[in-house]
Parts: sequence; structure tokens; C-alpha cells
Amino acid sequence: MSESLPPRSRGSIGLLEANCTSCMLCARECPDWCIYIDSHKETVPPPAAGGRAKVVHVLDRFAIDFALCMYCGICIEVCPFDALFWSPEFDYASSDVLGLTHERPQLRATMATVRSDL
Amino acid sequence: MTAEALYAVARDATPDASVDGSFETITIDIPAESWVAVAVALRDDATTSCRFFDWLSAYDAVERGLAVVARLWSVERRHGAVIRTHVPRSDGVVGSLTGVFAGAAWHERETFEMFGIGFDGHPDLRPLLLPEGFEGNPLRKEFVLASRVAKAWPGAKEPGESDADLAGAPPRRRRARPPGVPDSGTWGVG
Repeated sequence: MSESLPPRSRGSIGLLEANCTSCMLCARECPDWCIYIDSHKETVPPPAAGGRAKVVHVLDRFAIDFALCMYCGICIEVCPFDALFWSPEFDYASSDVLGLTHERPQLRATMATVRSDL
Repeated sequence: MTAEALYAVARDATPDASVDGSFETITIDIPAESWVAVAVALRDDATTSCRFFDWLSAYDAVERGLAVVARLWSVERRHGAVIRTHVPRSDGVVGSLTGVFAGAAWHERETFEMFGIGFDGHPDLRPLLLPEGFEGNPLRKEFVLASRVAKAWPGAKEPGESDADLAGAPPRRRRARPPGVPDSGTWGVG
């Protein structure tokens, strides 16, 4: 985009995967049921001898179906870990409805367009 | 002042009118049989002159049946009121406003198909938006939303679960339920 968009405009949603804990809150609050998350548990060995092993959730799939999304922003509001962000990027029309389901690579690419100057 | 005038005119048309002033625009509750008379009075009385028909719709008031609401507005006086009446869930009928405001025809057709409320005196009460042969009244609470039944809720998984885990897993304690969607078996009975 050559022209500048209002930084707070709601064009798309980006995912900061490092912050996502697969807690499912966004998927459960989404009124359109358009967020799909798959994750699995992994056991992390204790950092020092005598410590306890930790179970962590590892994200396998995170997808937002923008064919259903109504851009309400509840997922962004509800995320306790600041993993979801509005991006002004709106230019992702698709001739195939399945192309509007953005999987992790697209959500990561959208994350790169999130404005940090708010 | 204007709210009092609107209420006074409605009271003159039906002594059973009561006013709900919870919002800036007053809501005047009237019995169903006075529906048309009150609309005529609010339109024609010099102190109200609500000659602009804004909209008519309904909502499902559950125990109180179905509520029919219409908003009337006076362009010159810059005031208006919402009139409301309750009708029974089955065979609820209210007089048609098409003789008072011709523009009410589409609103009443939509309210008829969405809630199953009849409008006595409507010249052509066909469904407006729904396809021919559509069964049910989609905006009633008991209407089952097909998309909420046909599709699995993406939020049913717990953190650390995937679709594959759910498929093979034995039914577990209590699964999270989608908010706002009743348990299957209790829905659509009402």
C-alpha cells in the first residue's frame, strides 16, 4: 500500500505466535466461531536437577476464517497474553472462499504489518 | 414537555397506555387492540404530529409473548416515541398500520415472516426476505440456528488438544459449552 492507512483501522488480524499459549479463550469468545486452534502438550525437563518437569502447550494450528469474521475485535480484547493485534492491512481479497482462511504463515505475515506507532 | 404531550395523546386514544422512560426516547406500552388508534392519534394530533413512520419490528419477550414495536417521529417538532404492544406467541395478531403509514407494509411483511405475527388489514402479507416454503420464524427464541447445530464449536477443545484428540477420546467430564447456545435437547422445544 502506497497510501497511508489510519493506524487503528481494522483491516486484518495478526498473530504473535511467541505470545500465544493456546489457551482457547479467543476461540471460545468468538461470536462467529471462526478461530480454529489445535495444540498439543509437551513435557519440558526441569532446568536444574531436582526441579520439576513442566507441561507446556505447543501450538499446532491457528487459523482465522475471514469469510466469517465480522471484525468485532473481541478475540484481540480477550487475549490475556497480547498475541492478537489489529493490522490496517485489508488487501487480501480472494476468488476462493477457502483463501480467506488465514493459517499461521498468513497471520504471521499480517503481524509484520501491525503498526507499532499507536 | 414533548414526552408528556406524546404520552397524553396516547392516553386519550387508550386509557391503558403506560410509559417506559428508561431511555431518552419514551416507549409507550399500549394494548394490542389500540395499536392502530394510537398511531393515528400520534400522527394527527397537533401537539404530537408524528407524521414520519421510522420503522416497525418485533422482539421475542419470552414470558410476555412477542412485543411489536414501532417508532414514530415528528420532523417539525423533532420528537418521537416508540409504541409497543405485546401479543401471544401463537396466533398473535395486531392491526396493520398500512392504512396509517403506507410505508409500514414492508416492515409488517418482515415482522410477519420473522416472528409469525399477523397484521390485520395488511393488503398483501407475503414473506419479504425468506424464500418460498421456508418453515419457521427465524427471529423467535425457539428457532434453531442450523449453523450452530451443523458445525462443531471450535472452542470445545481444551488447551493442548487438537481435533485428532477429540475424535478418539472417550466422552470426558464436562466439555465447555458454547456461550449462548443451549444444550442440545432443550433447544427448539419452547
